[in-house]
Amino acid sequence: MNGCRVLVVVAAAALLILVLPMTAAGVETTKVTIGVNEYVVLNNDIYIEVLDVSGDMGWSAQVHFYSYLDPVGTKKTLYTGDIPTEYPSGSGLIIEVTLDSVFSNAASFVIESSKKLYVTDRNAGEVETEPVAVPKLTITRTIDPNKAEIGQTVKVTLTIKNTGNGTATDIMLDEGTIAKTYKDGCPSTIEDIAAGATERIEYDLKIREDAQSGTREMPASVLNYKGESGVSDSTESQSSVLTIIPKEVLLPELTISIDPIDYVVTCGDDVPMVVTITNIGNATSEKVYVKGDLPPGVKLAKGGELEPVYESVKPDKGEEYEVTLVASEEGKHVVEMKMMWAGEEATAVFEFWAEKSGLEKYYVYIIAAIPILLILLWIIKRRREYSY
Amino acid sequence: MLNILVLGLGQCGNRILDAMNREAFGRGGAFAKYYTRQKFPASVKTIAINTAINDLKGLVDTRAKDRLHVPHLHGVGANRTLGKQVFEDNKEIIMSEIDRRGTFDLIFIITSAAGGSGSSFAPLLVRELKETYNNAPVICIAVLPFREEGSIFLQNAAFCLKDLVEEKPSGVLLVDNQYLKKYAGDIKSAYDKFNTTTARRLLFLIEALNSEMLMVTDLGDLKTVMNGGIGIGTMGFYEASKDSTIKSAILGSFKPSGLLFPTNVYKEGARAMLIIKGDKKYLDLDLITKTIEDLSTEVGQVFKGVLIQKGRPRVLSLFTLNSVPELEKLYAIAAEAIRFERERQDKSKSQLDSAFSHIEDLEPIY
Ligand SMILES: Nc1nc2c(ncn2[C@@H]2O[C@H](COP(=O)(O)OP(=O)(O)O)[C@@H](O)[C@H]2O)c(=O)[nH]1
Ligand SMILES: [Mg+2]
Repeated sequence: MNGCRVLVVVAAAALLILVLPMTAAGVETTKVTIGVNEYVVLNNDIYIEVLDVSGDMGWSAQVHFYSYLDPVGTKKTLYTGDIPTEYPSGSGLIIEVTLDSVFSNAASFVIESSKKLYVTDRNAGEVETEPVAVPKLTITRTIDPNKAEIGQTVKVTLTIKNTGNGTATDIMLDEGTIAKTYKDGCPSTIEDIAAGATERIEYDLKIREDAQSGTREMPASVLNYKGESGVSDSTESQSSVLTIIPKEVLLPELTISIDPIDYVVTCGDDVPMVVTITNIGNATSEKVYVKGDLPPGVKLAKGGELEPVYESVKPDKGEEYEVTLVASEEGKHVVEMKMMWAGEEATAVFEFWAEKSGLEKYYVYIIAAIPILLILLWIIKRRREYSY
Repeated sequence: MLNILVLGLGQCGNRILDAMNREAFGRGGAFAKYYTRQKFPASVKTIAINTAINDLKGLVDTRAKDRLHVPHLHGVGANRTLGKQVFEDNKEIIMSEIDRRGTFDLIFIITSAAGGSGSSFAPLLVRELKETYNNAPVICIAVLPFREEGSIFLQNAAFCLKDLVEEKPSGVLLVDNQYLKKYAGDIKSAYDKFNTTTARRLLFLIEALNSEMLMVTDLGDLKTVMNGGIGIGTMGFYEASKDSTIKSAILGSFKPSGLLFPTNVYKEGARAMLIIKGDKKYLDLDLITKTIEDLSTEVGQVFKGVLIQKGRPRVLSLFTLNSVPELEKLYAIAAEAIRFERERQDKSKSQLDSAFSHIEDLEPIY
């Protein structure tokens, strides 16, 4: 495709080029291609002669319009993209001419008129013309998805279209960059794209772990390319937006608590202790071990399991178990319950005071009370003995 | 150990008995009875007997079961005739109450001679007790009234003593309320002090009778002493001051100030018993013997008992008298009072009669 040239014989061109009637209301449109120093006659009236074509400063063609009633005519330079140039023939036929495209030694025009136009004559020599092949690239970019978490990879698709008539060569892609992202498989050069062809490039955009979350703008993709004639051109895509979501970490997180927090008990009495384990994380925890550390003077009442193992604790779920302790010594006791999961641990502490057992506590008083009571009884007895 | 019965008759007798019971609690004060037991120097049983229940209620240190109420609603009101009647009516109750306390080696009856219940019960009780406990000496402690207390008390005292002597108790020990005048303060606390004094002397005596003494006196000696003279006597007491000899202590116990009834022991004394207690160092036995020998020439037979005990020498003397001039005086006053009372009564009667004579033949008209 590269370097492919089409030789167009003007005669052949005349045959090939169709006069395409356009269907705009009341407007007749004709497209003609005219070689340099050649002319066409429209409706046996108007002569359009191409004097020169130029690729500098935009595409242009120097045109001489004249007619039978206007033999001198006017010479105009038409530029592609310009507003149509009007030429009245003098006999009432008015045409509006737009330079459509320019070839190396010919120019093609779009001619509009209120009347139907016919090429009634053509001055066409056996001149071998080389058409001017100009590539025109457009680039669009999509990011899919345009919302992603840190660490994820999104697909960036670049669609490059050659809407020109020449092959685009030496295409250089300068892709926009979002900081802390990595463009995996993004080419910096792109193979030639033939006229009319579409090239699709996909690459992975990896959002690095240290990327900043939020709405990030990805600057436009810029394409620099050349045409066969060596003319270089560039185009760019619109800029895109990628929303980077902070990464949701899936981790189990367990808490352990003991009810009640404080307690005053009597030695020998049951001390209920409720241990509650809750997974406040967002992932299931496997294998949760609970270890209990009973201080001296505190024992587990019969039948309780102080150190259970849970196979799994789901997020937002928990486990609860009750054990009964018995303190045999008075004073402050601190029970430490340690929970271990996935290499982490948490501790809850249960403090309670054990007081002397009821009897023990009042032992002194009872001992003291006995003689007092006896004395009292004695006094009462004596009083009765001596009251008459 | 001697078994001794102490009967307190009437208010006066009850109160002296109560004082004995209090003394038996030692020096513990008012609350002693709540924490300690009575310690009598012998096996002592006490009974307070009265027709007035309020008098019994007023006692403090006598056990309730040792208070015997002889039912006669408000006492006998110093009426000895009524009192005698009440005793006869309740003799069984009284005697069985006494009987329940076992047998006795010595019986004391404490009573006022002037009141109603005590003075009328005492002679009759003496008779009953002598019948029931024929071997046990019965000694009456008779409290004489103030001379100013009025004709009824005087006459009661006179007749009571007469009745008592006629019943021939082992002895009568006189306690004269006239001595109350020695004590300052109101009559109640004077009574209390006098009662305490009397109680202590009786306990002193009881202790001496019950103890193994250095020089022995015993129940037989007491009987002999009480048999002397007219069978009426009294008690004296002396506590030696620091440097006084045992002799002066012994003589002190004969002084009128230490006697419970005013008498001249040297003149009227028939027989005596001296009980000496004190630290051994004070008790010069030779001196004691000598002093008592000297006394005997004037007082007659003097029995002595010496008790080694902590403290300075204390001497209790107990006598019987050959004559009682003070008692004669009392009888004279009593007779005078009776006569005066008779006259006054007659006069009042005739006055009333003449008053009544105004309406002799009249009938009330309505
Ligand atoms: N020493 C002494 N004499 C008393 C006491 N109470 C009353 N008397 C005397 O006893 C006499 C009255 O006799 P009382 O015992 O009351 O009569 P009774 O209760 O009817 O036998 C009066 O001469 C009072 O002075 C007392 O507590 N101590
Ligand atoms: Mg009275």
